[in-house]
Amino acid sequence: MKIVAALIFGYNEYGLEIAKNVTHKYDDITIFNLHESDNFLEHSEKFNIEHFDLSDDWDDLQNNYDLEKSKIFCALSDEAENIFLTISLRAAFRDIPIIALAKNSEDANKLHMAGASKVIPIVETSANIITDMLKKPIISEVLHNILYENSDLKIEQITVTKEEVFNGQFPADINWSRDHGIIIISIIHKDMSSEFIYSSKAKHNYISNGDILVTAGYEKDLDTFEKLIGG
Amino acid sequence: MKFFNRFLVDVAYYLNNSVRYQHKKRFFYNLLENDEYRYKKYFDIFMSILILFSVSILIYEVKKEIPNYLNIFNVYVISIIFLIEYLLRFWVYSSISKVIMHQDEYSDLLNRDFDLLFVVKRVVRDKLEYVLSIKALIDLLAIMPFFHELRLLRIFILFRVFKLFRYAKSLQMFSSILSTKKFEFLTLSMFASMVVFISSVLIYVMEANNPNSPIDTLYEAFYWSIVTISTVGYGDVVAVSPEGQFVAVIVILTGISVLAFTTSLFVSAFTEKLEDIKEVKVVQDVSKLKSVYIICGYESIAKEVARKLLKSDYHVVILDDSKDRIDMAKKDGLLALNYNPGSIDSYKNLNINISTQVKAILCLREDDVENVYTALTVRSVIKDVYIMSLLMNNSNRNKLLSSGINELLYDKEFVGLVAREYVGHPVAFEAIHTIRSENSTIKLDEITVTERIASSVVKVSNLDNISFRIVLLGIYKKSTKRFFFNPIDDTLIETGDVLLVIGNFLFIEEFTKHLSMKTNLEDIA
Repeated sequence: MKIVAALIFGYNEYGLEIAKNVTHKYDDITIFNLHESDNFLEHSEKFNIEHFDLSDDWDDLQNNYDLEKSKIFCALSDEAENIFLTISLRAAFRDIPIIALAKNSEDANKLHMAGASKVIPIVETSANIITDMLKKPIISEVLHNILYENSDLKIEQITVTKEEVFNGQFPADINWSRDHGIIIISIIHKDMSSEFIYSSKAKHNYISNGDILVTAGYEKDLDTFEKLIGG
Repeated sequence: MKFFNRFLVDVAYYLNNSVRYQHKKRFFYNLLENDEYRYKKYFDIFMSILILFSVSILIYEVKKEIPNYLNIFNVYVISIIFLIEYLLRFWVYSSISKVIMHQDEYSDLLNRDFDLLFVVKRVVRDKLEYVLSIKALIDLLAIMPFFHELRLLRIFILFRVFKLFRYAKSLQMFSSILSTKKFEFLTLSMFASMVVFISSVLIYVMEANNPNSPIDTLYEAFYWSIVTISTVGYGDVVAVSPEGQFVAVIVILTGISVLAFTTSLFVSAFTEKLEDIKEVKVVQDVSKLKSVYIICGYESIAKEVARKLLKSDYHVVILDDSKDRIDMAKKDGLLALNYNPGSIDSYKNLNINISTQVKAILCLREDDVENVYTALTVRSVIKDVYIMSLLMNNSNRNKLLSSGINELLYDKEFVGLVAREYVGHPVAFEAIHTIRSENSTIKLDEITVTERIASSVVKVSNLDNISFRIVLLGIYKKSTKRFFFNPIDDTLIETGDVLLVIGNFLFIEEFTKHLSMKTNLEDIA
């Protein structure tokens, strides 16, 4: 049986931080090391550590892992190697989700072109977090707690399957906070276009099955709401 | 004599301990000498206007009669103001009481008699130092027109123009730049003087006995020499004999070289000092800022942070010991100084009150060693400023925290958290990311409840946010430092609380205005 895993290419501090943060989602986490000289023995008990090279031999990967459900992270320290790895993986596996790290926006563009599904630009991400902390410290703290800490308050994405619950009402006309105890941050339509709840478009569009509601609320309220609209 | 000495010492201690006296002396010192004192510029402008007015009258009265009241104003009022200024400068230049006290302590310590002669010598030396300084001499000469009966002394009004040097910083800078080339200018003037002297004598010898020559006296020879060496050549006095013309050729050629050398001296003095001039300007600009972020280091993350802060109209100052990085920061339109962030002098030279003018110091060098060094330097200068720092290697976390840094920013952790959220809720992640991005029209914003807002909006139900198409995410209560998500309608709103709202940025602006206006409208009603 093939394993669903988080496959992290890059045995470095970035790779290890990613590994630590996805343990709640994946039982199996494998970190692939490009250079055999690297030695982080202290982590070998927590995660599977394997060696790989940049040749096009991905048979082991294909045979051992359920790549459709697994997630691949390209986090090699050398930018050129990271881009080469991304393009190699994309050439070998057309549909797998690849998340790649980029040092800056210039590399981010190259990684997108190489076929990464999602690129995390390190400099921009760090700068965004720093400036948000300076400009809007309270928002940063609240969002940090909601997104990353173990609080009851969560942000969830809930897919609508029972559109009849809304009874032909426009999203802006529903009192979400009082009726359901939740707050709708945005509505993602089937074509993946997103809109704010009070935008002009949302005022004239009904919620239909397949739409995703990005909601914030307490876990209990979110669960109740999810059951109500289908989930 | 002993009684007199005792009296002198008592008076000195009294003046030194008198708050009123010291306050006044400090006030006048600041007004006259302290460039950072906010009222000094008004005093300088006032004095400059008086000078220009005085000189205008001098020019006007050359050919026309001036009304008597103007003459009185010019000769007496302005001169008296200048005299008062001169005496005040004389007073604040040095402290007589301190010299007396010092001598008293010294004699007590060594068990000797109080040496009044030493005190007098010391005070006279200090005060003479002021009186004989060029600026003070100009000040004194500028007061001279007061004795207007001596008509010759009226010309001394022109010395008032020189007084402008005191009040115009750019003129002071100009003279200080030229003074850096003092030696070169001295050498050049020695050379020019030698050429003028030799050529004057030569032309006099060659031409004075020639009846057709206009050069008859040594003074005329000197005048010819100056006009020729400066390459002006009026042509009113010319050499006529072949020998004299030969001397003229030599002087003309020398004149060209003297002129070229002088020009190059000016240019090189200004070129060398250009960076200093720009630096002075940046420091002046920084000292005027009220709320500023100081970023230490200008590498990739710092560059991005500075760009974002600048875009949001925050004031940012970059300090970096690398000239290349500072040049890059200047190119990016930032206030940047080639100062070492790890040096105490850098913060002193900034001429800024860190506790009141600086919002935070960001140590954004991508090197933990440099950031620890900078943080310790800042902490040794000031204890209560907020310091944020990058952490590049997690094993150095404790070292950075113990160096006094308030907040550590570990970029690997950021990446891990982003990956965690993306893996967990990819759609929600994108939605939040979109709202938080710079270009989004939908913003997640903070509205601080002012006293004005709190007086009219008592409860959440009074907010009226839905009619402004604003979602209230929650309230951060200042009193309990807790965040209340989706607060019920009866939740009280107090001064200092922060409303966290989501909406179109224009509607948020309108909503904020509405909250402040609400009080006005209700007051009027």
